[in-house]
Amino acid sequence: MIKKLLSWLASPLGKIGLLILSLIVISGAVWGIGQTQTVPEQPIDFPHSLHVGLGVQCLYCHPGSLKGPVSGLPTQTKCWGCHQQIAKTKTSALLAPLVQAVENNQPIQWVPVAMVPDFVRYNHRPHIAAGLNCEDCHGDVSKMTVYENPQVLNMGWCLNCHVEQAGEDEEKLIRLTDCGTCHY
Amino acid sequence: MANLDKESAVSVNLTNPEEGKWGMVIDRDLCTGCQACVAACAMENNLAFVGEELSGNGRSMHWIRIERFWEGEYPEVKATPFEPTMCQQCGYAPCEPVCPAYATVHSQDQQLNLQVYNRCVGTRYCGNNCPYQVRSFNWFDYERPEPLNNQFNPDVTVRRRGVMEKCTFCIQRIKRAEDTARAEGREVADGEFAPACAQACPANAIVFGRVDKPETVVSQLAKQARGVKRLEELGTFPHVTYLKAG
Ligand code: HEC
Ligand code: HEC
Ligand code: HEC
Ligand code: HEC
Ligand code: HEC
Repeated sequence: MIKKLLSWLASPLGKIGLLILSLIVISGAVWGIGQTQTVPEQPIDFPHSLHVGLGVQCLYCHPGSLKGPVSGLPTQTKCWGCHQQIAKTKTSALLAPLVQAVENNQPIQWVPVAMVPDFVRYNHRPHIAAGLNCEDCHGDVSKMTVYENPQVLNMGWCLNCHVEQAGEDEEKLIRLTDCGTCHY
Repeated sequence: MANLDKESAVSVNLTNPEEGKWGMVIDRDLCTGCQACVAACAMENNLAFVGEELSGNGRSMHWIRIERFWEGEYPEVKATPFEPTMCQQCGYAPCEPVCPAYATVHSQDQQLNLQVYNRCVGTRYCGNNCPYQVRSFNWFDYERPEPLNNQFNPDVTVRRRGVMEKCTFCIQRIKRAEDTARAEGREVADGEFAPACAQACPANAIVFGRVDKPETVVSQLAKQARGVKRLEELGTFPHVTYLKAG
């Protein structure tokens, strides 16, 4: 049985078959990896560049960063505060979902992009308190239309910065690289 | 990465493993065996509900249990006092060196035994080498029947099948208290927070705090003559002290 299969694989037809099979597997893998790298679609193509360019502070829409682990995403009430008075709101196709959400009083279901797995405990507060800027981790948001992570948020990225931040302070190094700081 | 022996730990002004940082005192005279701590722990730490049948097969999951033994020969038996038993957070923990994956490691920062769930591959060596038998293993992915699926604690990882787990001294509460204190530019005060079991205990039989500071309530209680450490002769340096019936 195995011998038969092997001799068939050695034949020209078998070689072509093998080639097609490996092409299918490789393209499947490439597509799969590609899927993890693309930005998911948001309910509203919210343009960060435009709003940050208007001078709106990050903390106006993401107020949690100063106080706790989670920054939070704005609800339609916050958008409506401005957009109620903006003429374009009624006409823009981009803003139709916002108008709908306000009229039906239903929350906008933003899709999370910046996130770490469930087994990691991340906290914004100590980072902002240590004087880091949002841009250090989230990239130049003022140039992004829809938010996109500038790098993968993996463990090496966290630890590189932690080791750098600790410098010569051994006590701080131990605290910032302890597994119990991020995993529990 | 930072890997320190005892001398260098002292030199960078950290608490040493023998003394520990966080500790607990459990008064056996006060414990009524009511199981409130067991329930509180399960709620706080997203413990799975194993069910009657699997528990009967010895696969129950608890981070804390009320232990009690019979002493003497029948019919002259006497029950020992209730002993809430959880991970003793040993200074030199037998579970740690046997892990082939470095998933159960000693926290230099908190002086606790950590279980890094995502690192764990489920060999169960640690559980077998634990003299206190306080580790539990996720044999399956367990169901959370309605409405219990709504009460997950977001500060604690939900463990998957094939992972060992155990009491953490509610490290999520330790971390939150330290974070709040740092934000306010102060030290964590004694008694500012407590693990779920100590908080739930109606008899105040469980006291928690810093054992490396002599003025805290735990340190004072642990120094009493009634205090014993369990299986101390093994040299594990447990950080839980039991006050025996006096
Ligand atoms: C006018 C309100 C507003 C302002 C100002 C704003 N954002 Fe946002 N931000 C949003 C909304 C709405 C989303 C969700 C849509 C999306 O992800 O594109 C979002 C998403 C994000 C995300 C991704 C979160 C996730 O996981 O979905 C990051 C990171 C972020 N913003 C950072 C910033 C930073 C940094 C600034 C300041 C430079 C900023 N934002 C300013 C409204 C705002
Ligand atoms: C500080 C006030 C302010 C807030 C808050 C605000 N916006 Fe805007 N937004 C504006 C202004 C001003 C414009 C530009 C309007 C124009 O071009 O005439 C704009 C434009 C937009 C556009 C582009 C419209 C187009 O057709 O080009 C979108 C989409 C948008 N906002 C969505 C949102 C959402 C979603 C929120 C809530 C997360 C929000 N905005 C919050 C002020 C605000
Ligand atoms: C040290 C790096 C770092 C800095 C600095 C930082 N972030 Fe984040 N941010 C993260 C990581 C990591 C996550 C993913 C967190 C998670 O999944 O829990 C995140 C998630 C977010 C999210 C989405 C999830 C949530 O928490 O609501 C928003 C919005 C956000 N950040 C906004 C900001 C803003 C605004 C600032 C500046 C005030 C900022 N971040 C500064 C690393 C950083
Ligand atoms: C750009 C640098 C940088 C990056 C990237 C970064 N951190 Fe931090 N982190 C810091 C600094 C600075 C502190 C504060 C140190 C202090 O307390 O003095 C900190 C503190 C922390 C703390 C609190 C430590 C404590 O004492 O309890 C946690 C938790 C944490 N980081 C998790 C993460 C995680 C998880 C990631 C990756 C997703 C990450 N950090 C990425 C710079 C960074
Ligand atoms: C500064 C925070 C931080 C510290 C400290 C830290 N980790 Fe992580 N760890 C992370 C983050 C963030 C991820 C998620 C990586 C990802 O999404 O690819 C992670 C992922 C992991 C993974 C899974 C890797 C994967 O790709 O699935 C393992 C295993 C792990 N950590 C073990 C450890 C161990 C063991 C320690 C202690 C020596 C430790 N970590 C300390 C932040 C941290």
